[in-house]
Amino acid sequence: MLSALIAGLATGALYAAAALVYNVMFSTSKVLSVTAGHTAMLGGVFGAWFMQVLGLPVPLALIGSVVVGGAFGLLTDIVAIRRVLARSDEHLWLLSTLALATMVQQAIALWWGTEPRPFPRVIPQDFGAGLLDQKYWLPVIVAIGLAIGLEVFYRRTLYGKLFVAMSEDIFAARARGIPTDRIRMLSYVMAGAMGGLAGFAAGQLTFAYFALGLTLTLNGFIALAVGGLGSNVGALVGGAALGILSSIATYYVGGEFQQTISVGLLMVVLLLKPEGLFGTRNVRPV
Amino acid sequence: MSLRRVLLGTAAVALAWATGVFAQEPIRIGWLSSLTGPLSSAAIAENQGVQFAVEEINRTGGVNGRKLELVTRDTAGDPTKAVNLAKQLAFTEKVHVVIGPVNSGESLATVPILARAGIPNLIIGSVDELVDPKKYPNAFRAINTNRQWIEAANHYALDVIKRRKIAVIGDTSGYGTSSAKTAAELLEKAGVKPVYSVLVDPNKTDLTDEVNKARAAGADVVMPWSAATGLLARLLNTRGDMDWNVPIVGHPALMAPAIRELVNKPEYWGNAVAAGYVSTTYDDKGRLPAATQALIDKLHGKMGKGEIDYMLWWVALGYDTVKIVEHAVKQAGGTDPKAIRRALENTRALPGVYATYSWSAQQRNGFPDHQIVMNQANSFKDGAYRAAK
Repeated sequence: MLSALIAGLATGALYAAAALVYNVMFSTSKVLSVTAGHTAMLGGVFGAWFMQVLGLPVPLALIGSVVVGGAFGLLTDIVAIRRVLARSDEHLWLLSTLALATMVQQAIALWWGTEPRPFPRVIPQDFGAGLLDQKYWLPVIVAIGLAIGLEVFYRRTLYGKLFVAMSEDIFAARARGIPTDRIRMLSYVMAGAMGGLAGFAAGQLTFAYFALGLTLTLNGFIALAVGGLGSNVGALVGGAALGILSSIATYYVGGEFQQTISVGLLMVVLLLKPEGLFGTRNVRPV
Repeated sequence: MSLRRVLLGTAAVALAWATGVFAQEPIRIGWLSSLTGPLSSAAIAENQGVQFAVEEINRTGGVNGRKLELVTRDTAGDPTKAVNLAKQLAFTEKVHVVIGPVNSGESLATVPILARAGIPNLIIGSVDELVDPKKYPNAFRAINTNRQWIEAANHYALDVIKRRKIAVIGDTSGYGTSSAKTAAELLEKAGVKPVYSVLVDPNKTDLTDEVNKARAAGADVVMPWSAATGLLARLLNTRGDMDWNVPIVGHPALMAPAIRELVNKPEYWGNAVAAGYVSTTYDDKGRLPAATQALIDKLHGKMGKGEIDYMLWWVALGYDTVKIVEHAVKQAGGTDPKAIRRALENTRALPGVYATYSWSAQQRNGFPDHQIVMNQANSFKDGAYRAAK
């Protein structure tokens, strides 16, 4: 049972990281980009490639994964967001980000292959460490670190405050002279880098696998909706709840009900508290 | 009638005669393969065998003087695409025979379409429901059935290593679910109720609980029925990390070369046995059957002497499917679907590389039980394996 909890927590931390990626992108663009999970997939695949194929040391591979994630965030903004938001108020970003996510996944499948490939040890440790194995704890540490880092960023830095301003009212922010396009681009780069870092940290758990992105996009969204859109604490709690609940459900009733329980959790929360556990209702004064 | 008209008429008749004799219609083989996408690794190897056989037959003059023309369509592992491409092959390309699709999920969708179109279809998916002499009279299976793999694995667990406490682990895909169910049913029929049965998501990141439960239930064999190499590698890793040396006996994907890279330590791949084929199993002296060795020599002649780093049986199966078409057209004396059907129904012990095939009016599964053998999962060498002890 303890192993189910720990494994669920580790997987949930990855979902939480995907939810944080959603949050950062959403804060400046009001877009729920379907590429959120794919940033982590790229972090895992490129991390493995840097270390195993290019033979780079762990710190350089880590930096490389973060850079690749950031570059993908930038590409998302340029290709799937910028022009769509400039030309339409409709939710066409759903299609544009889905198209980009699909293309990236297919490209990785062609280049990297469709079978999962190993992710090397990040910290020297024997494989017999059981539940203390780094594969469980690295994603948890990174997800918590990302959430704390984001809170500090929002509260203590000028750019963080600009993110918050755009999140409150994008038109007012633009009227006050904030370069909203540039800030949005920065947020996408940052979100991509966060995803790359999370994917690298969870690589030993997930293997370097091209199809991971879609799973994380879906479960990251559930974590986000459960925790509350825009809340970093909510993302952590939602991710952990989803991971642990899925794991315990599998433990007691078998894997065939895992997805049903995940989506069931989403339905229950949306019915009882549509804004999520830590979300806030937006009241627009008229 | 003027002389000119007579000459023109004679020339037209001569031309028609000449095209009929010297440019006979080629035998068009539709090849539905998932060359890209998540299920592509087996298909790519099979495609090598298919192409190699077509080239070989065409080099020696074709079949009854008719060249083979391969019409390849990539389904990307998607049943919807497979359906559209099967219709295209049947009604637009007007092929004479279809090989594939490669995966059972796609075949379940295409077999009824090709049956309605009346096109002979060589099945290379292992799910039992794919053949039925009444519903799909033109469908003949070249690969073994899933049940044959399971029966071989059960026989090994129960009768060879004499274990009775079996844990069955399937994945939640349609294939994994039905395979695990069949395995459990066959075990119960043999008087052995599995001590633990579970289905897990093929992408589940950790199998500690499942392996712990199997151990707590007293399992002395773990039988995984999943084609997901990631899941199988996690099973091997969990067993190894727990220092529990229980035999793992199951699906051929346990032997996939990709597993070698995914296990935490090379020794974790030991004490694992999977269903394989006599055709790709080394004997005690390290030799392969003569037909297999001949195919390897031909492949080396074409692609160089480097080590074969994929499962050779996929190449052998692809190669054999084209040779089966050659056999059927020769026996039928042409490409008439009914004649091809009769030819295949009357086929007994047709020697191939992958297997020796027999079909009848009632039996559409051509692969014989005795050509399945259990292999040591970690014994991959040059495309083939050693037999399990």
